[in-house]
Amino acid sequence: MQRIKQTAIRIYGWLELRLQLEAPVKDAALHSVPRNTASWWYVFGSAAFTLLFLQIFTGILLALVYVPAAGEAWNSLNILNHQIPLGWFLRAMHGWGSNFMVAIVLIHMAQVFLFGAYKFPRELTWIAGVFLLLMTLGMAFTGQVLRFDQDAYWGLGIGASILSRVPFIGGGLVHLLLGGPIIAGATLSRFFALHVFVIPGTMLLFVFLHVWMVLKLGINEWPMPGRLVRRTTYIEEYHRQAHEDGIPFVPGAFWKDLTFSGAVLAAVAVCAFVFGPFGPGGQPDPAIIQTVPKPDFFFLWIYTILSYLPPSMETPFILIAPLLGIAFLLALPFWAAEGEKSWHRRPVALLAVSTIAVCWGVLTHLGTTTPWSPHMSAWSSDPIPPHYLQIATPLVRQGAVVFQAKQCRNCHSIGGAGGERGPALDEVATRMTIDQMRFKVVTGGGNMPAYGKNLSPAEVEVLVSFLETLHPANEPPAYDASRRTIETSQADDGATTRTNRNATP
Amino acid sequence: MRILVPALLALSAPFLGGCGHAPGDPPNPILRPSTVTDFTALYSQNCAACHGANGQNGPAIDLANPEYQALVDDATLRKWISGGMPGTEMPAFCQSHGGMLTDAQVNALIAGMRKEWLKANAFGAAAPPYAQAQAGDANRGAQSYRARCAGCHEPTRQQVTSADYLSLVADQTLRSIIIAGRPDIGQPDWRHDGPVGNATTALSTQEVDDIVTYLGSLRNVASGQAASSAQGGR
Repeated sequence: MQRIKQTAIRIYGWLELRLQLEAPVKDAALHSVPRNTASWWYVFGSAAFTLLFLQIFTGILLALVYVPAAGEAWNSLNILNHQIPLGWFLRAMHGWGSNFMVAIVLIHMAQVFLFGAYKFPRELTWIAGVFLLLMTLGMAFTGQVLRFDQDAYWGLGIGASILSRVPFIGGGLVHLLLGGPIIAGATLSRFFALHVFVIPGTMLLFVFLHVWMVLKLGINEWPMPGRLVRRTTYIEEYHRQAHEDGIPFVPGAFWKDLTFSGAVLAAVAVCAFVFGPFGPGGQPDPAIIQTVPKPDFFFLWIYTILSYLPPSMETPFILIAPLLGIAFLLALPFWAAEGEKSWHRRPVALLAVSTIAVCWGVLTHLGTTTPWSPHMSAWSSDPIPPHYLQIATPLVRQGAVVFQAKQCRNCHSIGGAGGERGPALDEVATRMTIDQMRFKVVTGGGNMPAYGKNLSPAEVEVLVSFLETLHPANEPPAYDASRRTIETSQADDGATTRTNRNATP
Repeated sequence: MRILVPALLALSAPFLGGCGHAPGDPPNPILRPSTVTDFTALYSQNCAACHGANGQNGPAIDLANPEYQALVDDATLRKWISGGMPGTEMPAFCQSHGGMLTDAQVNALIAGMRKEWLKANAFGAAAPPYAQAQAGDANRGAQSYRARCAGCHEPTRQQVTSADYLSLVADQTLRSIIIAGRPDIGQPDWRHDGPVGNATTALSTQEVDDIVTYLGSLRNVASGQAASSAQGGR
């Protein structure tokens, strides 16, 4: 045992004489950081760093099996899922790792922004971070393309059509992105190279720079209201704080980083185990039209925005908004390099982050439910809840058949199933009279197309007869008051006529 | 430490115990839509909306009725599924008629229905044939209707004589329902058609023919045609 220990020390000494890493590593590990930064709020950067290496590790293992060829990619993913022991788990770790990484990077960015860490002298650290965010999103998108299924195919189509709208050079950009005029084998090779070599390589370089600057400039101190950043005095004040009220990074703050990173890895593993890998969905064949492609969750907000934007706003928004957003993030540390760091005195910053988070959440939720999109198979696959037809007459039943066969269900849900493009019709009879429904069906209005030319008079009649039954048991259908008056007066007229007739000799 | 080890073991138990049964282990690869031949999948995607989940309680005829399954042969089912049923809302599902299903999928649907819903000796007695073989008499049909059907199907209650209703259902649909009934909604079959579904004698083939002919005579054909198709458009 003693001998092994001595040999190890000798080897270490041999290596250290040549590499001389001990001093810089010790410096990095033991450098003093302000005591108040040993906080659970400061763990997201290191977690993102850990996840990057998880992605590299699992990515290398996936690359051993994955075939980046248009005809083979989908099959090789299914081989991973179904034939290689725990291949599905590996794919799930990589997929969930990517989701967690996007989420942690965004949280890290929000935290750094709210803590004012982008201010002097850490402007370049922030800028490197902005590029790292863009590269993380680039990895997410290219990764989605490598999962070569219908979502990937159509996602790529949308990416290409966004690029094609760039004035003058749009066509050339699409050609560059796809490796030709169409999505084909060259496209996949290109995205494989981007996902496996180009972006990760650049990312590692930026991560090195980012971490280097964090070590050299010191971790951002806990912001205190009223303690303003001034270029002339900040560095001196920071060093005084780090030394007078500081602790060595290891183990003082490091154990929290380590614990959180471990917890994140465990969370990735649990998600991978329980929820499994992402796809692959259907085969990436444009001839298959029974598909509802959707981007992965981090791009759902763009999907929602593009769905809701009026067509005239699409091109300006697609081309200008991202550039403005990136320009704002890059300019931020120069525009506000000095001043207040604490979020207690930066209400605009706090409001901006909250607004973006709420908007992002709402847009993502809408992206998952896609209320703007008809459910194209609802007419043939969503049954009418049986209790809606329990006491229905043959006429009403036939109305339900027309409701399904004419695909009303694709836009109007009943019993929680069906499209959400138009209003749910479970209680439509309480808000519209039968005449109003007839008029609406025939002439349309608002977003509703006119069906007068596509439905026969009988179809309209049976359809509204069915719709008239859609009301709660304890609430009668809407009734036109003037009808009642007319019916009463007609009944009176009839009685008068009869009386007169009887009176006539 | 004493707590940590069992806790770790407990946490890792799902990972250690049988990875083949892991909840995240993905199901089989997604097939091309045209290669799906599983009856349950095909039925729920294409038929369940009108014919009801599990073939009953839908607005259209209940395919799970063993009597209906006994009444109709494979060729006829194939004809209606593939090309649709003229004069009704039943659309064509086969690719050769503009639908989305292949011939193999239509066959899989028929085979599935037979396997799930056809029962041996469903009728118990010889039933009138599926298709009408001879012309019926509307006047006789009206009398039979009043005697055997009107008890339930008075115009104000079950509106089966409504011209709008009749213009959207084919004679064959009426005939199938009269013979096989709709047990899911309480409509009796030809043996029990009568006041409150309690007839002492079954309807004869002639009576079925006559009732269908009578109901057909009430149909307003023009009402069943869409405005544009009436102009030769659609």
